[in-house]
Amino acid sequence: MKFRILRPALADGVAQVSKAVSQKTTIPILTGIKIKVDDEGIELTGSNSDITIQVRIPRFVEDQEQVSVDQPGEIVLPGRVFSEIIRKLPDDEVEFTVNGRWITKIRSGQAQFQLNGLDASEYPRLPLLEEDQVFSLPSDLLQSMIMQTHFATSASETRGVLRGVLWQLEKGKLRFVATDSHRLSRREAEVESPEELVLNNVIVPGKSMSELAKLLSDYKGLVDVIVTENQILIRVEHLLFFSRLLNGTYPDTDRVIPRGGKTEIITSTRTLLESVDRASLISRDDRDNVIKCIVNGDNRLEITSAAQDIGRATEEVTAEVSGETMEISFNAHYMMEALRAIDSEQIRILMTGTMTPFLIQPVGDESVLHLIVPVRTN
Amino acid sequence: MVGNKVRKIIHIDMDAFYAAVEQRDHPEYRGRPVVVGGSPHSRGVVATCSYEARRYGIHSAMPAKKAYQLCPHAIFLPPRMARYREVSREILAIFRSYTDQVEPLSLDEAYLDVTENKRGITSATLLAREIKQQIYKQTGLTASAGVSYNKFLAKAASDYQKPNGLTVVTPEQAFQFIDELPIGKFFGVGKKTEALLLKRGIRNGADLRKRSLQELVQLLQKRGEILYQHVRGIDPRPVQANRKRKSLGKETTLAHDVYEVEEMLPILGRCVQHVSQRLYEQRLVGRRVILKVRFHDFKLITRSVTLEQPVQSAEKIMKALELLLERIDFSNKGVRLLGVSVTDLQTKEIHRDSSESPRYVQLELFDSFF
Repeated sequence: MKFRILRPALADGVAQVSKAVSQKTTIPILTGIKIKVDDEGIELTGSNSDITIQVRIPRFVEDQEQVSVDQPGEIVLPGRVFSEIIRKLPDDEVEFTVNGRWITKIRSGQAQFQLNGLDASEYPRLPLLEEDQVFSLPSDLLQSMIMQTHFATSASETRGVLRGVLWQLEKGKLRFVATDSHRLSRREAEVESPEELVLNNVIVPGKSMSELAKLLSDYKGLVDVIVTENQILIRVEHLLFFSRLLNGTYPDTDRVIPRGGKTEIITSTRTLLESVDRASLISRDDRDNVIKCIVNGDNRLEITSAAQDIGRATEEVTAEVSGETMEISFNAHYMMEALRAIDSEQIRILMTGTMTPFLIQPVGDESVLHLIVPVRTN
Repeated sequence: MVGNKVRKIIHIDMDAFYAAVEQRDHPEYRGRPVVVGGSPHSRGVVATCSYEARRYGIHSAMPAKKAYQLCPHAIFLPPRMARYREVSREILAIFRSYTDQVEPLSLDEAYLDVTENKRGITSATLLAREIKQQIYKQTGLTASAGVSYNKFLAKAASDYQKPNGLTVVTPEQAFQFIDELPIGKFFGVGKKTEALLLKRGIRNGADLRKRSLQELVQLLQKRGEILYQHVRGIDPRPVQANRKRKSLGKETTLAHDVYEVEEMLPILGRCVQHVSQRLYEQRLVGRRVILKVRFHDFKLITRSVTLEQPVQSAEKIMKALELLLERIDFSNKGVRLLGVSVTDLQTKEIHRDSSESPRYVQLELFDSFF
């Protein structure tokens, strides 16, 4: 096996697949990166058995030759050291030569490395997915859908399906739901999908979602999504992203989302976020990070917080208020994460009671929804 | 330990506790060999047996099957731990009516520091006798007591004469008492260490005292140093009245090896019920759940998880265990023992003592736990 490649293209690819490579794996070969060379270019694969990332670097990009193949073949190289070597090589071109015992010579400029590789035939095969159930959406839309929901997943490994983001698809409408049972975030969008394609219990681990969001910033085009029983595949340009799905049934979240409310507030997203951020300076040392919002009916909110051994904070926020007066306590952290995920200038908050969840939505946009369950104070 | 004042320590050990409770609760068992523990047809072991049963050579930790062979007409009973705990609490209350310096070691054993006591009795011997009488009067059970000036000697003394004994070891008598003490009765000397020491010609305290500190440390590291001290009558360990429990667990040896997780779940379920009940009784919650599995080849593995919120309920402990089970490769390996314990214990806060800081309860979106 022998080939030459442009270093920047290789470095980008290696950086991408490295996101799936973990040193903590029960399958030793997965600490490596697989490189496959054929007439059309090279293919890099990294995997931690939950997530697999594959990047293809084609021979030509707009008539420029990136890869020149002398002899095709496959090799697995130790992930961490390989990616560091590639990043630090001196020249823009790198030459690889692999001998029969998987010993790999890497040359670039005056630098020369010799790495002990592993037999690529030992590397787990990627699943082959049927491609008849594909739907598509713009890469930046998928990224923002992830960013607007995945923070609400539970970080605790004991919470089963709540560690993931629920994907639902029906009649071309894609919906993401994430909840840790203390708050919930939901985002809907129209996608390009065959009319008959319906998904209702696809749960993608939160960790996979955040890795995917990071990768998507490098892309602009359409993303294809293929879902099978236990895997999801996201394909964009030369990138393939596979994730395992979580087993189990996601709870029915429709029934917990309030239809109407007692108090409606319209206010500036940014002003409220800054105010909550300040109030939490007092409350954040406590695990529940509790602040209080008092709605008195005269076009303002009062945000307060108090901690026995620190002190207190009070602040008024201008708002359009209609409905009943209300006093509601909640975790400031949940509120800040929800507000940061909203890109509209104005938000609408709908409160249903002191002890029941309240709703936050961008004004005039029903596709985004955040729900926060209050904290009971004694 | 306060200054150089000689302490007065009592070690009380209930006689054949579980069996004695059974004999008291069931008059028909009295005077007959009673064996509390695993079923004689299982792989369980003897927990306690009555003195009548001991005459047949039965002793605790012996396989129940063997006990059955030795004495087929013995009465074999499953342990009723809840009942024993109840009686144990009564006895603890008696101890505490004399002193607050009580360190329970188990349900049937405790150290009492009576140097200062609520009755103003200066003779620890008289006090020990009175405590024994009170226990008998209130519960109908007998105990053996050891009285001395440190924990090691008090415990060795209570073991000296059983049942219903009372042995006093004064500082003057200490060396003589220790000289005759068989090596297996020393603190920290189990079967293996005993064999090791016997091989070196150390049969009792007198033999032990002839050995240098260096030799003992070389042989047994830290424990060697402790033995060196003990054999000289030195044991500064205080009676720890507020010793906090660090973990609470329950394990069970299975009647036959199991291979399938589905078979393990109900077994673990029962262990969890037990642990949860005891957490509840002691008003404790724990954040760490540990699963213990011993395979047929005696290989032992444990898996643990730290939870977001401390747990007490059987349901939540079980949830964590199911997760831990997934992390174990059971392929074709028979399991002979399963155990669960909860650690990182803390006292469950009660809403009433919330005067210090406001109490918050994060409400849930769903009624049940997912």
